Amino acid sequence: MARAAHPQAMQPKKPGTTRTAPPKMPDGFPGKGRYRTYVAFETTGLIYLLMGFIILRAIWQLGAGEAGWNGVMDAYRNPIMIGFHVLALVGVIFVGVRFFWLFPKAQPPRIGPVRPPPAAILKGMLYSVWIGTTLVMTWVLAGGAF
Amino acid sequence: MKQLLIVLEPVIWFMFGQGIMIGTILLTGWLIVVGVGVPMGLFPADALAYERMHMLGSNVIGRVVLLGLIVLPLWKGAHHLRSLAVDFGGGDRDAIVGSLLYLIAIVGSLLGIVAVIRL
Amino acid sequence: MSDVQIKKFVVTRFDPDKDEVPRSDTFEVPCQSDWMVLDALNFIKDQLDGSLSYRWSCRMAVCGSCGMNVDGAPTLTCKSPLSSYGDTVEVTPLSNFPVIRDLVVELDGFMEKLKAVKPWIIRAKEKAVEEGPYRQSPEELEDFKQFSLCINCMLCYAACPVVGNEPDFIGPAAIALGYRYNLDSRDEGASERNAIFRGEGSVYSCSFANECSEVCPENVDPAAAINQAKLSGLVDWAASLVLPRGGKD
Repeated sequence: MARAAHPQAMQPKKPGTTRTAPPKMPDGFPGKGRYRTYVAFETTGLIYLLMGFIILRAIWQLGAGEAGWNGVMDAYRNPIMIGFHVLALVGVIFVGVRFFWLFPKAQPPRIGPVRPPPAAILKGMLYSVWIGTTLVMTWVLAGGAF
Repeated sequence: MKQLLIVLEPVIWFMFGQGIMIGTILLTGWLIVVGVGVPMGLFPADALAYERMHMLGSNVIGRVVLLGLIVLPLWKGAHHLRSLAVDFGGGDRDAIVGSLLYLIAIVGSLLGIVAVIRL
Repeated sequence: MSDVQIKKFVVTRFDPDKDEVPRSDTFEVPCQSDWMVLDALNFIKDQLDGSLSYRWSCRMAVCGSCGMNVDGAPTLTCKSPLSSYGDTVEVTPLSNFPVIRDLVVELDGFMEKLKAVKPWIIRAKEKAVEEGPYRQSPEELEDFKQFSLCINCMLCYAACPVVGNEPDFIGPAAIALGYRYNLDSRDEGASERNAIFRGEGSVYSCSFANECSEVCPENVDPAAAINQAKLSGLVDWAASLVLPRGGKD
């Protein structure tokens, strides 16, 4: 049974003379099929918001001194934190895969006289930049350089 | 408040877009190493030793990357949580919910700027 | 000789003079193997219950009249083969719309949103007849042609989760049609439309569910139009902060 939509959804500004039955949300929303994927996509917003503050705290402590930073590193070894970071990593990868797949259609047909590359090439470029940057960051952060 | 959100919507959307794109690109490497790899012993712990991290973070590129890691996910998060609230019947409360979420993102962003400058 | 199979149709009924809330009627229909859902509805109306109300016209997916939810998914019933469905088929009115009667939804809300985006060529000054016709290259036509294929069937509105929650949201088809004119080389009203796109019912309410494009029967890809319009609106907004506005492109 579909959920109720907003009572004013798709109502004209001046209602007609006949009583209407109220609108209903799409049948599969929120938990079925593509709607489930879409709601999961939006829910990653919580992961991103938390990650922003988690990293903020880490960098704040990095600026506070060695003791502060070591405290952060100790906290990250907590199984709950590891579990959250694993979940966050899954969420971030999910967001990247979905968003970069859809991204080409958001490009205008031309920018001035120049047309964007075909969708397949643009996707390839985006995924390549993502993977490449990840490899570089992983290499640098894990001690491969500097 | 609703009118202010309408006026600022393009720039909010821009920040959200950068949050999804650049935020996702930066977060992946960070999570692999700092979030999961080092804590689980997959990478050597001294890779994230204080002196090294401070050295990496306090040069210009490091500060820009760290600022991106803090600020951009906040805006992606705030905007998507606002959309989620609307999708679950919150259309009438959107102005308040959206304003609150963006305020959180603004505060976090300002603190992020301070945190990066302090390094 | 076609096979005949009896299928059950569970159809929403609503008579505002008699019913408090919509209810369902079940009909058993002898269906030919090559029938569309619309054929079954026409059989019900012709043979079983003449009071059943629904919209249809061309029977060939060009008019957009026969949009309904079939087994929960918005579709054009004239191009939905019954062979794609099981022995019981549920037919309900399009989601997100007020229901006038049975399977007929209120369309005036959409008409208002469509008119609001000014879906026509806007010129600062019309060319004089003596100056000849507006010329447009095939490449310029390609820029917007896809978005001009919309048949106003409103399946996209029925699929969009934002339409159901934000009454002011302009919605997929109207945005796609407005943006179509922004891309038209003959048009000079992009700034005017972008201001509408940034106002009440803003394009930025779209959360890129992409459901509108998934259900569109004409491959208009309204999600593409909406998200391109977001970028276009941002550029226009930024330009308006620094450049004097002449009112036309």
